[in-house]
Amino acid sequence: MYSFFKLKKQEFVSPDLDKSISEANYTVIDTELTGLNERKDSIISIGAVKMVGSKIDLSRDFHRFTKPGTKFKSESVVVHGITPSDVSEEPAIDSILSEFSDFCGDDTLIGHCVSIDMAFINREMKRVLGNPMSNPVIDTFFIYEWIRNQSPSKPCFSYASKDSGLYEIAKCFEIPVRGAHDALTDAFITAQIFQRFIPVLINLGVKNLGMLLKIGHPEEGGDKSSKSGLISNF
Amino acid sequence: MLTEEVIEFLHKIPPFQFLDNATLKQLVSGVTMEFFPKGTAIQYQGGPAPEYIYVIKKGEVKVSIKNESEEVFVDYRGEGDLIGYMLIFGGNRARATVIAVNDTICYLIKREPIQNLLYTNPAVREFFHTSFLSKYLDKTFKEIQNRNLVYSGGDKILFTMPVGELASKDVIKASENITIQEAAEIMSNYSISSLILIDADGNPSGIITDRDLRDKVVSKGRDCKEPVKNIMSVPHVRADVKEYCFEAILKMVKHNVHHLLIMKDGKLKGILTNHDLMLIQGTSPLSIVKDIEGQTTIDALVPVSKRINNIIGLLLNEGAKASSITRIITEINDRLVRKILEIAEERFGEPPIPYCWIVFGSEGRKEQTFKTDQDNALIYADPASEEEESLAREYFRSFSLFVREGLLKCGFPPCPADFMATNPMWRQPLHVWKKYFTNWISTPTSEAILNSVTFFDFRAVYGETKLLEWLKDFVMNMVKDNKVFLGYIANMAIKNMPPIGFLKTFVVEKSGEHKDKLNLKVKGLAPLVDIVRLFALEKGIHETSTIERILTLKDKHTIIKEYADELLHAFEFILLLRIQNQFEQLKKGEDINNFINPNALSNLEKRIAKETFHLISKVQDLIIERYKAMIW
Repeated sequence: MYSFFKLKKQEFVSPDLDKSISEANYTVIDTELTGLNERKDSIISIGAVKMVGSKIDLSRDFHRFTKPGTKFKSESVVVHGITPSDVSEEPAIDSILSEFSDFCGDDTLIGHCVSIDMAFINREMKRVLGNPMSNPVIDTFFIYEWIRNQSPSKPCFSYASKDSGLYEIAKCFEIPVRGAHDALTDAFITAQIFQRFIPVLINLGVKNLGMLLKIGHPEEGGDKSSKSGLISNF
Repeated sequence: MLTEEVIEFLHKIPPFQFLDNATLKQLVSGVTMEFFPKGTAIQYQGGPAPEYIYVIKKGEVKVSIKNESEEVFVDYRGEGDLIGYMLIFGGNRARATVIAVNDTICYLIKREPIQNLLYTNPAVREFFHTSFLSKYLDKTFKEIQNRNLVYSGGDKILFTMPVGELASKDVIKASENITIQEAAEIMSNYSISSLILIDADGNPSGIITDRDLRDKVVSKGRDCKEPVKNIMSVPHVRADVKEYCFEAILKMVKHNVHHLLIMKDGKLKGILTNHDLMLIQGTSPLSIVKDIEGQTTIDALVPVSKRINNIIGLLLNEGAKASSITRIITEINDRLVRKILEIAEERFGEPPIPYCWIVFGSEGRKEQTFKTDQDNALIYADPASEEEESLAREYFRSFSLFVREGLLKCGFPPCPADFMATNPMWRQPLHVWKKYFTNWISTPTSEAILNSVTFFDFRAVYGETKLLEWLKDFVMNMVKDNKVFLGYIANMAIKNMPPIGFLKTFVVEKSGEHKDKLNLKVKGLAPLVDIVRLFALEKGIHETSTIERILTLKDKHTIIKEYADELLHAFEFILLLRIQNQFEQLKKGEDINNFINPNALSNLEKRIAKETFHLISKVQDLIIERYKAMIW
């Protein structure tokens, strides 16, 4: 009995690295921020979409606005279109963090240039709940770069964008990018991009979560010198 | 909410468009979205049934089924089409293989809530039932066509030539804002049978054809100064330049259109007509018609008439519906008969009195396929004097003899029961014909019933057609409310009980040359024809072909109203089976007959055949109910 529980617990803590990428559970996330400065800026909204393998669950999404603790910057207002008065009635970030954490469960988190989002989320997590999120994290930006570099002579995409920004990639796959650019829409776009990556990754031999984490982890994987996508995403 | 996008999409798609917002919201409460890269299988025939109905959001898939050994192409489906919906009627195995031919995105909607809608929402029920039936039927047709294509070697070109090479390249286009007259003018200037209309952005918005001008303008007395927009049809059926002719034919048949827009990279590249497709095979019904018209002697008609059977093979190969085949064959045969009559008039001089050449039986019902017995008669106007009477008698005696011999030379054997104009009984003035029918209807002996039933399917082919119209008016008025006479006809319509026992097995011939075979004509075709004829007589309509009768009775007759679509499908099915069977016999050099071996049918065909016989039996029960007192 004891060992059963122990086993359960272990599985919860560390992800099942052998899990096939076409069966794993993912939560695709995006945030809107007042700016990029980790110390001065803060989260305006969080959006998230669930996936099981390449199947996007459209009926379970997460979208919350918060009243940011710091001031809005005029240049970021232009990007996300959210003004201070829009969110003045919203709750502070503290009250939605555990809800967000519950929504993610022990899924693998996915985002485009996700280290920025994670930095802000984990800062708040540590402040409010005492711990950062322990979920494995994967960055579609790195995955895209990795796939493109696999066989430059024989591209995996017939329509690769040189630019690794979220919308540029989306356009290559004819994923619609019109409408409000809020955190949920962008998370959904990211999910659709990741959806396209899955069959390509499987073809390239990336079968399980462990291999996916190697190439897609924001700290471990990818080509760290290229940060162009970071800027264009924001 | 991401589901809003789904709801918005479903609002434009049947059957979901019939649902209110609350129901739709429930339906999408578990919706997911899946991506299938080009070339991947969405499901395999025989694999586990998916628990979802797939709605194609973007992309294109190819549906195919395997029968015994060969893979049969069934359908292409694209944006807004559904996959896997047949399973809502039950079954736990996927019924077809579905492959994404382009990158495809689908919404996956749980099957169960949709299944529940079958019980609660009539519009949904009707949608699934009709599309189920027609898809189901489509499949059978294609199965038959495909077998035929495989057997007859010379059609490789259909599989190897992309439509792009065949489609007329320089498409004549005009603005959708011109008038009907202007459009017609352009068409005659360029000698084209169809004109593509484009909107302000240059995208094709509609098409008009010769047929539209005839059906929607001239015959309706429409003002030709009206904008052409009012009569154009919106062309929804497109094919890519790379598709093979075979696939184009299937599309035409499926959507019942004669033109396809040929697209390349989303732009209109050309237009493909069914005539183009026939021409690549060298034989076109039109060319035969032209050849018939050009002849002046019977001997010259003989070689032309020999080509008619080839047309049937051609049409079968090209996937025509049975009713289309019989319609074309009837039209050609009619022209042949008319030509022979013209030649006869030429030879015997102007007839002394107006007359009308009538045909009946399958020819009268426009259901002819391979050359059948002559079934014809002649009505002439009532002579004013004895002198005129004897003149007419003399003239038409030798005239009809000449025609009979001419028809014989062209491959139509004489009628063994002597239902021909050469028989003096069936070569009479109008008033005698009226007397015939009066006698048959008032004293319905078995011979009288047989005669009247034979003649009820009569149709004028040549001459003064008014004579027949008058006779029809007279007869129909007499029959319409004559319950006793209709009772006799009803007995005839239920005489041939379909060959299904309680065990749902086929009852086949027990002995003789055709042991273990099923007589399609007696057990299938005849009951359907008899049933529909009875209903036509009840309502006194003039149509003679079974299909036209069903269509005309659709809003007049309660039973037909309910079963029209099924009856049409059933009739098409049996007719096609018969044509196919006879064509095979002919190719093997055998005499044609109406017997098929039920064991040679595919499972699908067997199932449809059973359903057809069930339908016949159901309608026969309704007739018995209706004529209770008079059924013996």
